[in-house]
Amino acid sequence: MKQLQFKGLRFLFVVLLLFLGVLLFDAQKLPQMGAEFISIWAKILPIFALIILLTTLIHYFLKPKHIVKHLGEESGAVGVVYAVLGGILSHGPMYVWYGMLEEMREHGLKEGLIATFLYARAVKLPLLPFMIGLFGLTFTVLMNLYILLFALLQGKIIDRVIKKDILP
Amino acid sequence: MKKPKQPPSLRQAFLKAVLGFVSMLPMVIAVTGLVALFKSYVTPEMLSRLFGHGRAADIAIGTLTGAVSSGNGALSYVIGEGLLDHGVSVYAVSAFVLAWVTLGFVQLPAEVSVFGLRFTVWRNLLTLLSTVAVSYLAVVTSEILA
Repeated sequence: MKQLQFKGLRFLFVVLLLFLGVLLFDAQKLPQMGAEFISIWAKILPIFALIILLTTLIHYFLKPKHIVKHLGEESGAVGVVYAVLGGILSHGPMYVWYGMLEEMREHGLKEGLIATFLYARAVKLPLLPFMIGLFGLTFTVLMNLYILLFALLQGKIIDRVIKKDILP
Repeated sequence: MKKPKQPPSLRQAFLKAVLGFVSMLPMVIAVTGLVALFKSYVTPEMLSRLFGHGRAADIAIGTLTGAVSSGNGALSYVIGEGLLDHGVSVYAVSAFVLAWVTLGFVQLPAEVSVFGLRFTVWRNLLTLLSTVAVSYLAVVTSEILA
């Protein structure tokens, strides 16, 4: 069984220091911050339940060789389609998906597809009515098409710079 | 002879998923704490006062303010509508809305701790450039089509 290795402990320490600063110098803001914090967690907890379910199914049904085949180096267009569709259909803040992506990367998910997935998340299906109301239908369609195009481009560039070891 | 590795049971798969979630908890608590801190101090009115310095500057400001802002994506449209009403250009507002959902300076430390520094830097740099390009191209193309 995998060992428990906490992520972001130093980051959490810095944020706790900031909260301590607020407590010392602007304590009347704390109730508002507490309410915001609880409201955020109320929204993301159901998403975490979904992610735990998805990750369980991935561990159970998908073997590393499947991930390598469909989302690894040789996955080609199929991998891109999965990454784009996954990005469009995923809900909630980006950071709640990091854990699942990290586990899939450990099993062979290529980094370009992570970049594609994360940028394709900009296509927000539930928010399309807001977008059409704000910018109009033509602009909304164009913007979402460009988002998908740039999601693919980002994936290609990330893969290329990693393959050529250009990344510093 | 080496014994073939047994596939995990559903219970083992679930425990592994829960373990993965628990290991991410400090990072998620930190990000949500930072978002709560940000939302308590930065108001939409403060953001709208930053614009009005020309197209290029407004796109840059829209991208940067969207990137440092955080919260539900629907909120970015509410603020975006207010910005358009205040005469801010569509270039800047579309960059703001797009940066809101694709970039997140508050979650950068979390992204670094999961994916590593070089992937995070490159991905966010590309996302920053893509956001400017998508906003610009979408406005220009829609103007041509109109």
